[in-house]
Amino acid sequence: MKSQNSPHTLLALGSASLLLAGCATPQATYVDPSGSRIITTVGSINIQDYANAADTMVGSLIDGVINAGKLESPGGQPAMLAISRIVNNTSQHVDTDMLVKKIRVALSKTGKVVTTTTMGLGGNAEDPLAKGIQQQTEFLQDKKNTRLPDYSLSGKIIEQREQAGNVRQSSFVFQLSLTSKDGLAVWEEEKTITKQGKRSTVGF
Amino acid sequence: MKLSLTHRCCTFASIVGLSLLTACASTVNTVERAAPVGQRQMVNDKRVITDAGLNRAVRIVGVNEAPGEFLKIQVELLNTTSSLKSFNYRFEWFDANGVQVNSPTSTYIPRQIEGKESIFLSALAPTPAAKDFRLKLIDNTR
Repeated sequence: MKSQNSPHTLLALGSASLLLAGCATPQATYVDPSGSRIITTVGSINIQDYANAADTMVGSLIDGVINAGKLESPGGQPAMLAISRIVNNTSQHVDTDMLVKKIRVALSKTGKVVTTTTMGLGGNAEDPLAKGIQQQTEFLQDKKNTRLPDYSLSGKIIEQREQAGNVRQSSFVFQLSLTSKDGLAVWEEEKTITKQGKRSTVGF
Repeated sequence: MKLSLTHRCCTFASIVGLSLLTACASTVNTVERAAPVGQRQMVNDKRVITDAGLNRAVRIVGVNEAPGEFLKIQVELLNTTSSLKSFNYRFEWFDANGVQVNSPTSTYIPRQIEGKESIFLSALAPTPAAKDFRLKLIDNTR
């Protein structure tokens, strides 16, 4: 009798183990970076904050410059944009490309703006190989046909912290300016993101 | 005497309770031009309600659009309750073939709306190819 029940017992135990393993909470899980279930912290700029700020910036730029027909470029070509200095005035290490790249990609997708990767602040090219190829081409063709940027994008990220009792508040101010070849800021925008809390929380 | 004391206690509790409720519920008063100069170009919309509670509290009043190469959409929301309400929203865009147009800046954006307040959510299409939109609203209860 005992020997007849053993396979059944083993099968039951095996099934139970499989079920338990199936129900076990995983240690790590993927979340949608544009979803509403990502981690929000009070004291730092989170990934959704960059997306939120970039969304405001791109919307404002399209509305105020592109949709308004104020974007100027030679011969109806897409306007050429160069990235200037984006100052990080926050207390944390910030890669400003978290903001700027999103804006560049979004503007590129409009078909109205292209960004140069061979011209940068202080003569530093984002893509040195592309700059070398451009220079070689100009040398071989014996002519300078380098197009100059129509606009440059500059800005600043500022942080302001407050505390009242147990409640902490952080404000991150994103400021951007689009300057034309004439040296005039033809578009400017500011987006402030303020977060409050006593400790890190999940979700907005 | 005993009844009177109970009655007094109940009255006092009611006053305190009402005062607390009044302190928590602050609603918004507004004033605007009686006959607005701007005329909104309203959009016929289709609504899919899965969170009836959110829909009751934050009601979609109407949707309007503005002409331009890039589609501009504005959605008016009204907090029908007397207390602050938090929610997240995101716009999605679709081209003339109904295919979603992705944007690197697309994300759920947190918003708060005061009691009885009316706000506008506006967004610009990420490309001229975007012809349709969808607004998603989700409660912030977590």
